[in-house]
Amino acid sequence: MKLYDQIFNVVKKFKELFSPGPVTNADVSGSLTAEIFLIVSIVIASLLLRHINVLLAGLVTLILAIVLIFSIPLIPKFKIEQEDSLEKMLFYAIIVLGLIVIFLYWGGTLV
Amino acid sequence: MNELIPLMVIVPMMAALLLSAFSKFNRVIKVLAFVVAIILPIIPIASNYGLHFFGGYQPMVDNVTNIVYHPAITYSFTFMQQIFIAMIGILTFLVIFIYLTKYKKVSGSYLFLLFMGTASVTALILTDDIFHMFVFFEILALAQVGIVAASSIDYSTEMALKYMILGSIGSPMMLLGIGFLLAMTGTVNVTDIVAIIRGGLLDVTSPVFLTSLALIFFGWLYASGLPPFHTIKSGIYSKAEPHGAALLQSFTVISMISIVILMFRIYSYLPIFEFLIVLFSVIAMILGVSMALTQTDFRRMIGFLAVGELGFIGLGIGLGTQFAITAGLFQALNEIVITALLFIGFGAIVHATNEVDTRKLGGLLAYHPKVGIMLLIGGLAMAGVPPLSGFQSKLMLVQASLNCGYPELSILTIMVSIATFVVFVKTFYSMFLSPKPHDLEVVDNDVPRAMVFAMAILLIVIIALGIFPDIVTNGISNYVGGMLL
Repeated sequence: MKLYDQIFNVVKKFKELFSPGPVTNADVSGSLTAEIFLIVSIVIASLLLRHINVLLAGLVTLILAIVLIFSIPLIPKFKIEQEDSLEKMLFYAIIVLGLIVIFLYWGGTLV
Repeated sequence: MNELIPLMVIVPMMAALLLSAFSKFNRVIKVLAFVVAIILPIIPIASNYGLHFFGGYQPMVDNVTNIVYHPAITYSFTFMQQIFIAMIGILTFLVIFIYLTKYKKVSGSYLFLLFMGTASVTALILTDDIFHMFVFFEILALAQVGIVAASSIDYSTEMALKYMILGSIGSPMMLLGIGFLLAMTGTVNVTDIVAIIRGGLLDVTSPVFLTSLALIFFGWLYASGLPPFHTIKSGIYSKAEPHGAALLQSFTVISMISIVILMFRIYSYLPIFEFLIVLFSVIAMILGVSMALTQTDFRRMIGFLAVGELGFIGLGIGLGTQFAITAGLFQALNEIVITALLFIGFGAIVHATNEVDTRKLGGLLAYHPKVGIMLLIGGLAMAGVPPLSGFQSKLMLVQASLNCGYPELSILTIMVSIATFVVFVKTFYSMFLSPKPHDLEVVDNDVPRAMVFAMAILLIVIIALGIFPDIVTNGISNYVGGMLL
């Protein structure tokens, strides 16, 4: 129950900040599912690196799994970064534009 | 009968202008909007397949290179365009019908935006001209901003403004990319550009060509609502009127597939193009569903789920095989129908309760059993439960990723479907099955019949496509086969 309590406390704090109202069982279950889904899906997606190098895929997957598990709870952090703030949306839009242009300009013919 | 091809764009556009011009005459615009809305799905069904050259400028052969050039803006109409334009026509009819029956005094300006949006996406899917595509992409973005801003929901204008500001980054980047392409090829006709590339007259590894891909790709991310634009896309869905949101999401899906198909034809020679599509699609799937799991506002939850579903479409197209692209386009068709059903259904609940927080709702199955059951089936279709349409397209996507040698993507696809199922079951339980809170007042016991009618029509499409997917997939597969030649 440690993980459940941990998530419950975070969801409670989070609701106080962004969405006033009672914290229901469904909220905590939803956050818990999202947490597990996020970690597992990122780890599985990182396995795709095996098409570049098997050793690299193994290392990245292991490191990601450890980092993600020790960073629990992730969802509140993700949610704060994806709120309706125009500044954050603009920041991520510009970062992604920069990354795509750099990636394609210098590495477009490598993949 | 190829004269009907341009009419698919001209009819809704002329209707939009007339509705705006005669907005003071309530009865006239109601009748006009209704008649045009009925005509919209009929035109693509009645039209023959073929090409239309605006201005009558026929293709010319370059005697030196033997390349056929297209001086006119060209519209190409095949089974793929037919099925999507007909579906958009049906959806526009249902949305206009709901709107006309909901209000005694209708707004000519709002109807103008709905029809202009429909005309824009129709032009997007028909055109073979990348600059023409950009023009309608811009008109569509403005129409979307207007539809959201016209909503009576709190903060809708603010959200519309944010969408427009973000568009001021996405759109110029796309235009710059098109400019780079024009500078290198001397044409904006996609068939001509492809012929130039195939003829070896253009170096596809040139940094300018790669940068044009980067810039157009970024514009596509904005149009599609894939990350980093997933937050604003889900935001505008939640701030639009429910019937408006149903149409907005279909605009997004059509603009996504139209632009990506044009990009695919030009850039598929670069393996990095498919890699980028798969990367952003996977991120959209993960972020969309994980954010949906934590929402308490059910409109926002559907918004995030819709963004997650876009990832499935991108995944199919990014895998790049005939079967995978067919699966992606079939998924696009299913998403248009299923998400529209969910937005209209949840809109009916807002109409009945004036509440959007799932924590404050409950026991609604006793009050609205028809809406509840239709929403349940729609949600199951989105999660990919057999024998509904969502199951067929998602199964095709799982098979496609396995065939391409990416079992990880198959596992991810199944996981996202399961998470979508969890989101929907959680929300359905909170709203319909849990005990009704004491302070919840069901203000309007009757859900508008137009909404129930629209949901029933969409539900029939979902079930029909689930049982007989071949009626659509065979035609789409033939189109994709031709595109990959």
